[in-house]
Amino acid sequence: MSAQKPPTKTQTVSYGIVGQSIDQVTRSVPENEPPPLPANASLKVIGKPVDRLDAVQKVTGKARFTFDVQLPGMLYARRVVSRVAHARVISVDTSEAETYPGVRAVHVLNQPLLQHARLRDEKADAAARYPTIRYFGQPVAAIAAESQRAADAAARLVKIVYEALPHATTLEAAMQEGAPLVFPGPTEQPSTAGGGGAPPGLPQRGNVRGPDTGQMFGLPRGDAAAAVSGAEIVVDAEYRTQVQTHVPMEPHAMVADWREDSLTIYASTQFTTSVRDEAADMFELPKSRVRVISDFTGGGFGAKYGIGNFGLLAINLSRKAGAPVRMVLDRREEHVSSGNRPDSLQHLTLGATGDGRLTAIQLESHGTGGVAAGAGVGFAHALMYPCANVSQQQYDVFTNAGPCAAFRAPGQVQGIFALEQSLDELAHRLGLDPIELRDRIDTGPTDDARARKVERQVGAEKFGWSGRRAPNADSGAVKRGMGMAQSQWVSVIHPPTSCEVRITDDGSVEAFTSAQDVGTGTRTVLAQVVAEEFGLRAEDVGAHIGDTRYPSGPPSGGSRVTGSLTPAARNAAYRAARELAARLAPALEANADDIVFESGRVGVRGAPATWMPFKDAVKKAGVTEISHRAVRQDDYEGYMMSMPQFAVGRHGIGGVQFAEIDVDTETGSVKVRRLVAVHDCGRPINPKLTESQIYGGVIQGLSYALYEERHLDPASGIHLNANVDQYKIAGSREIPEIEVHILEQLGGQSSTDARGVAEPANVATAAAIANAFFNATGKRIRRLPLTPANVLDALRA
Amino acid sequence: MDQQGNSTILGPGAGIVTLLVNGRAVRAMADPGTTLAEVLRYGLGLTGTKIGCDRGACSACTVWLDGEVAASCMTLALDARGRQITTIEGLADGAALHAVQRAFVEHDAMQCGFCTPGMVMSCAALVERNPACTLDDVKAAVSGHLCRCGTYPNVFKATLAAAAQRRTSAADAESRR
Amino acid sequence: MDSFEWVDATSVEQAVALLTAAAGPGGPVVAKAGGIDLIDLIKEGVVRPARVVNLRSIEGLDRIAFDERGGLSIDALVTLAQIESSPEVRGRYPALAESARHAATPQVRNAATIGGNLLQRPRCWYLRNHYFHDDGVDAAAALASGEHQYHAIFDNAACALVHASTPATALVAYGARVHLAGPGGRERTVPLHEFLRPPRFEQDRDTTIEPGEILTRVTVPAAARGTRAAYHKQTERDSYDWPICDVAVVLEMNGDAVAAASIVLGWVAPTPRRASASEQALIGKPLTEALAREAAAHAVAGATPLAKNRFKVPILEAVVRRTLRAAAGA
Repeated sequence: MSAQKPPTKTQTVSYGIVGQSIDQVTRSVPENEPPPLPANASLKVIGKPVDRLDAVQKVTGKARFTFDVQLPGMLYARRVVSRVAHARVISVDTSEAETYPGVRAVHVLNQPLLQHARLRDEKADAAARYPTIRYFGQPVAAIAAESQRAADAAARLVKIVYEALPHATTLEAAMQEGAPLVFPGPTEQPSTAGGGGAPPGLPQRGNVRGPDTGQMFGLPRGDAAAAVSGAEIVVDAEYRTQVQTHVPMEPHAMVADWREDSLTIYASTQFTTSVRDEAADMFELPKSRVRVISDFTGGGFGAKYGIGNFGLLAINLSRKAGAPVRMVLDRREEHVSSGNRPDSLQHLTLGATGDGRLTAIQLESHGTGGVAAGAGVGFAHALMYPCANVSQQQYDVFTNAGPCAAFRAPGQVQGIFALEQSLDELAHRLGLDPIELRDRIDTGPTDDARARKVERQVGAEKFGWSGRRAPNADSGAVKRGMGMAQSQWVSVIHPPTSCEVRITDDGSVEAFTSAQDVGTGTRTVLAQVVAEEFGLRAEDVGAHIGDTRYPSGPPSGGSRVTGSLTPAARNAAYRAARELAARLAPALEANADDIVFESGRVGVRGAPATWMPFKDAVKKAGVTEISHRAVRQDDYEGYMMSMPQFAVGRHGIGGVQFAEIDVDTETGSVKVRRLVAVHDCGRPINPKLTESQIYGGVIQGLSYALYEERHLDPASGIHLNANVDQYKIAGSREIPEIEVHILEQLGGQSSTDARGVAEPANVATAAAIANAFFNATGKRIRRLPLTPANVLDALRA
Repeated sequence: MDQQGNSTILGPGAGIVTLLVNGRAVRAMADPGTTLAEVLRYGLGLTGTKIGCDRGACSACTVWLDGEVAASCMTLALDARGRQITTIEGLADGAALHAVQRAFVEHDAMQCGFCTPGMVMSCAALVERNPACTLDDVKAAVSGHLCRCGTYPNVFKATLAAAAQRRTSAADAESRR
Repeated sequence: MDSFEWVDATSVEQAVALLTAAAGPGGPVVAKAGGIDLIDLIKEGVVRPARVVNLRSIEGLDRIAFDERGGLSIDALVTLAQIESSPEVRGRYPALAESARHAATPQVRNAATIGGNLLQRPRCWYLRNHYFHDDGVDAAAALASGEHQYHAIFDNAACALVHASTPATALVAYGARVHLAGPGGRERTVPLHEFLRPPRFEQDRDTTIEPGEILTRVTVPAAARGTRAAYHKQTERDSYDWPICDVAVVLEMNGDAVAAASIVLGWVAPTPRRASASEQALIGKPLTEALAREAAAHAVAGATPLAKNRFKVPILEAVVRRTLRAAAGA
């Protein structure tokens, strides 16, 4: 039976940037879609800076993270990890650990590890009884005991006999002909719930897998090599970025409670569904018997999907011990084994005409994600600026280091560091203002390109861009400069997102989603969107999240929660409100369509005498319970690409950032004085929370640009700075003045028109700072981080 | 001390430790290797205090000892005897939030919330000690705190707002005398 | 952390006796003041004490006193926060106050004592990883051919470890002495710059403190009239960070001319390094920009940086020059 398209109707919706120009366009929308929302200025709750609903819990210490979950009879776990970088495991002797007082279970990993690349030919490693060790600190086993102290002591008693193999820890060493092989043959790594991974079936020579030639983005286009040789101007440069670790303040944490008929998992996660699904899959359980709960997740940034190897261990231990098991990584383990942003070595060639139009983009990149694939450098080359001739070859290089994981705009941060600097160089060589150049070439037909035009204008004005001087204008040791860079990200939707809204007889209104909150404010935006339909305040709506028993919600990744969840929530709320109106109508002797909800009251439009408080209306309507569920509909114009679990909108999201820095040319010290970030996110549901997200992205971008660097000891493969005093993230004194401006852009794609913002926010910052470096000193710095050592090298070049 | 004037040897096993927490004397089991953070969280169920790095490098575990900020992960439980310990749970006065807590809520000075209790403790200590604090003073007071979500700008705003409010209510109280 | 025995010492003599008593088979007997260094080493598995002697319970070991003749006396249990905020230290030994102000975090400064700070082991990421203490691992060689960005650029042939204490840089510049109480009631005093010895992986202490001894006090001579001082800690990150280098300058002036100079460089040599040639270059002259530049050049002459810490050389030179100028203008 062929699928039938649901019935549709035509709807006139606003399209454009509020405050710039708004057109009315028609869309074909599902028949039961709510009416379009006006611009935020006309709304009561949406678009307002409502206080985060869980703020009080967070400031009083009452918010319970997985880190805080304590169940009766709970055991404490500790992993046993490898003390070599590359080895076959000959034996694992757990006998002393098993009899240590307080120990209740021991488990040794004996299956292919999650998050690692896998051999295409599984038989190549099949003789091994235990997984091959491929990085120092790789998990081998775990202990569950009655106290953390006992688990830690017992873990030290596990004896592992290794047959050491040669290892390679750096990108350059691993790329060499004849380098020690991390994997004995070609590998695959499908992407996971969080993205990451690499395209299937690519060739692999030694440790180098690829090239990914960008087929997913329609590459190659035209003939880039020919276009480069024929170009009037060629900008050709090599860029180097570093490995970055996620450093969520709450480490990876899980409490696994295996019972005879159910498995309950408390998880610090970005995607409750992924934890359930992976647990069900790995332990061959029906999903109906697996429940995942996540009230608060203390940061994820891409690393917290699925159950991970530590989760495999925790669940096995719980099953064996018949008790809940708490497994929390310590800060060293967190740095080493739970994910990182790969490094990159990029060779980027741009060809352009004399007036700046791009005729060619050629990119070759290598990067290492350790024992995992996923070191691509994004898609900005393919999608951001119109260009007829584009080719790319992106390679993964395996090294004996911890596996990479998706990290806030995976690949794009690295790629835009290169692209936006090469464009800055192009502008300089042509004697064009960098903004003028972008005005000429950032002319795609998408909403993000339109938004960036406004963002450039607004940003330039707010920042004082006209005060920018020629490069190297200061004669003293400290040189000041300004730079700008642009960002682009895709609008990702989670198609299965659904939301239930429920009205109960006492006037309670609740909304339910399995989605989690990693700090972006899921509860609050959900409540706002539902409250708007009922004329209530956000704090009047019970927003229930973080439980896989609730309707399936989106991952907190890919900047997709708000864009996926709010239309489903609105639609469910709208239907519930319409049903309430229909049941109230007879009592008010009116048409259901004339019943409206406003300022906490309900009544007939134009008949003030009929108005009553919301609670009373629910009672008067004789409601015991009204419940509606709605699924996220397709974007009104359809998607650019869609699969059951993942869709990409026709229009992206973006931003433009401006940085002013001081460079101390004697000490190599770089200080960011101020930053202006102008971003779009469709319709901002809560500008206060959106601003916080943008601060967060900018600060992560600044931190990546200036301070963060993983140091591995080459001889042992040990991650030396697996702590937070020597792995340096931005602290309070690193924070400059940051000014944020948010556009309200209506795309006419969904019943809320909300899009995400998290990833565009951290994509452009490093490039803006590097461009400011050129303006300050007249020298390009194409290497991250901008540590004093790297800065002094760049200045001497 | 024993009869010969020798000090008693405590540990290595656990024993009862009496601590003054949020104004009350409480007893918990601890051995000499137990940190204050551990005894608060696992011995007393006060999970508001978080452990982000367990090395005194992120300040998520900040509590007050005699009103001064301390890294509870780097304080041994036995070293906290006889000192007034204030945790995040003890900052509000019942349902009445501390001015800094209210300001954090209003200025959205949190995102994931894991670093928040520690931040609040440091900012509240600053505002109590120096209501005339400047932005530099705030940055110095939280210079040991790490926040990966990037709440710093709003932490600064919230703390300065709470300090301003303190100054105003102090001035009001003064003028009423 | 594993547990250990704990004894609350009530006097210096008792603490000495406890530390001198034979350790049991379970590990060493160690002293603890603020615990900041010790707890870190225990958590990293580098130190596994059988017994900890708590010094914090000793009364009367936490005073700062100053008099015009004797100078400054800082008891061992005085915290870095107390040093930073002491009016005597700020007024008369500003480089010391500044070094304490920039050490670690506010939380750590409230707990860390000056005794523990001077006795702490290096912050080297090889030394603080128990793997590099295993038999058969040559940590010094690993460091020499590995990641030594933050290690010594002078006297680094045998071992590139550097002392971690930044207050030590200022204290050496002020001519500080440490006072030790030992077994049998013995007391001795040693100049700080002799007390600190080059750190080594195979040592369990990097000072000349002897088994059973306790550091009880640090004293600093009274400064001559017209002494000027400055201190600078150069870091990658301002919030808190270990230094690339730190520099303390103490100048005794004779009118506009420098009568005596003490220029101490930290984190660039195994122990705080007196830049003697720089000091000599200043004597009898007014400290102009040109002279500061010359003295700074002397300070880095003879540096033997390793492959990955060459960047420290020009930075050290700039910091010496600027700190000299700051001291002159102080």
